Amino acid sequence: MVRLDGVTKRFGTVTAAEDVSFALHQGEFLTILGPSGSGKTTVLRMIAGFMQPTAGTILLGGRPVSELPPHRRSIGMVFQRLALFPHMTAAGNIAYPLKMRGFPRAEIPKRVERFLALVQLHGLGDRRINELSGGQQQRVAIARALSFEPDLLLLDEPLASLDRKLREDMQLEFRRIQQELGVATINVTHDQREALVMSDRVIVMDGGRVQQAAAPQDAYRQPANRFVAGFIGVTNFLACTVLEAHDGEAEVEIGDHRCAGRSAAGGEAVGRTADAALRAEQVLIGEAGQAIAHADMLVPATVTEVIFEGDRVVYAVDAPTLGGASLRIFDHDPLHHKTRRIGETVTIGWKRRDLMVFPRDA
Amino acid sequence: MSRPSARALFVWTIVWFNLVFLALPTVVVIIASFTAGNIVAFPPDGLSLRWYASLFETDSYTDAFLRSLYVAVICTVISLPVGTLAAIAMARYRLRLAGPIQVYLLLPFTIPLIVSGLGMMLVFGEIRILGQLWPVGFAACAINLPFMIWAVAASVNNLDTDLENAAANCGAPPLVTFVTVTLPAVMPGVITGGLLMFILAFNEFIVSLMLVDARIVTLPVLVYNSIRSVITPDLAAIAVVYIVVALVTIWVLDRLVGLEVFLKSK
Ligand SMILES: Nc1ncnc2c1ncn2[C@@H]1O[C@H](COP(=O)(O)OP(=O)(O)O)[C@@H](O)[C@H]1O
Ligand SMILES: [Mg+2]
Repeated sequence: MVRLDGVTKRFGTVTAAEDVSFALHQGEFLTILGPSGSGKTTVLRMIAGFMQPTAGTILLGGRPVSELPPHRRSIGMVFQRLALFPHMTAAGNIAYPLKMRGFPRAEIPKRVERFLALVQLHGLGDRRINELSGGQQQRVAIARALSFEPDLLLLDEPLASLDRKLREDMQLEFRRIQQELGVATINVTHDQREALVMSDRVIVMDGGRVQQAAAPQDAYRQPANRFVAGFIGVTNFLACTVLEAHDGEAEVEIGDHRCAGRSAAGGEAVGRTADAALRAEQVLIGEAGQAIAHADMLVPATVTEVIFEGDRVVYAVDAPTLGGASLRIFDHDPLHHKTRRIGETVTIGWKRRDLMVFPRDA
Repeated sequence: MSRPSARALFVWTIVWFNLVFLALPTVVVIIASFTAGNIVAFPPDGLSLRWYASLFETDSYTDAFLRSLYVAVICTVISLPVGTLAAIAMARYRLRLAGPIQVYLLLPFTIPLIVSGLGMMLVFGEIRILGQLWPVGFAACAINLPFMIWAVAASVNNLDTDLENAAANCGAPPLVTFVTVTLPAVMPGVITGGLLMFILAFNEFIVSLMLVDARIVTLPVLVYNSIRSVITPDLAAIAVVYIVVALVTIWVLDRLVGLEVFLKSK
């Protein structure tokens, strides 16, 4: 459907996107996830045709499109600031691509109605854009991008400006519409939760480069590097030294402790410093001096912060024997677990396979 | 508790000050124009419409009014396309001439009209178009065009920079995008600017004075000439005509654009 081959974009000395390659299949929902400035918009704009890559090729439906101006590409886009036409009604906005793309006159009103209904805006077609709420404008933008049934839908953080409740509703709505129409979609976001909720596949970008392309569960379970581990979820990083590494396992020294964990590193990493990563929800808390069920590692610690959030409790603890590290811990079962007090001495622990080791570059 | 009332006092003082000094003379002129006497007086010496009748019966007045209208139309017709395109080009594209254009935009605030008028007079005399009416409209356009550009530029700058990209994405080629999206979206600014140009040209005095001769006087020049002899109540009636034209312009603006939009965009 869409393929990018080694696509690079430079603005003077700034490299906004570097050697970006990926493919998107019919009906697939792909999310490009990355912090602000990581090059997400740049990639999207090159696909839409608003700018040309400095190097590399973009193929749409198997054809290279460097010669194809944006209005000849069958792509619908929802812009970050929506870019609805202010002088038209909601229906006028949705009809615009139909008129431009030569749909039969008689068919246009029916189609507009159908797409107004699809985004649940029945009867609001006659409203001007400034007479609609933020969420309604969002829906008009989606309908405008979809009404001509493009081969590809591009979403540039269209939900970023909405409040949380509306954003979560719209995420599900996007997913529903996308599945209903079966249109291949590339969504761009800096919100990891949105990426995990909505996508078939996630591409994590940083500094203009693709860090990992994987299914959401895999990006979460097996982050390719330290950046991905830190960007998806809340992760504790502990400085360590690699003692042994082979067959997907590594033995490391963290402060006064030796522990084992998962690692993609090979023998060349031995002796190097590395980051041992532990997700906040995978660190367990138990009574001081006692073992914790299911935990392979046990380390003494002191509670320094307790935040009760209803469905979970967030702790911060200091672990002097882990090189003085401070860790963040989520307890997702506060009803059945004892809530700790600030200053309390506890034992923290984790399963061996929950520790991930990422050697630092030499 | 005394603080808000002190502020209210301050605000109301300003409001009343403005009302008295801006609105009162207008009201006085309007009332005076209905006098039945032979001299401008306040309070008026009886009430009648005789001075309005005399306005319509005096050819020199109606002719001058029509000439002013003609000048204003010429000025507006030229400035609509020129000002609109200039403003869009300036706001949307990086122009090589951006520096000089910005200086030009500040000229009306810095150069006295008498200087621009003198310049026009010399140039028009040189190319032998002095003594015709249309160059007056052209001159009014050249001098006031920055106001038109300001008005449209305010509209363009309010637009999302992705608007044209969105149109392309919908399948519109560049020229169609310009006609169906860019232009209509800046229409409030274009209308505002056009009406501003119309009223400025209609009222234009100094430049008119320097460019017209006795055969083609415009209304402001005619009024000026009359003031120098006897001040008769028909001048008050003309003043009321000006007030009416201004009100009509504001009414048109309100119908087409909406006054809140206009006041907010400035
Ligand atoms: N038109 C441009 N000119 C110069 N630099 C740009 C331009 N567009 C983007 N950049 C730069 O490219 C980088 C990536 O930008 P962008 O693709 O907008 O990131 P994101 O959408 O992930 O926030 C940033 O450093 C940004 O400053
Ligand atoms: Mg962006």
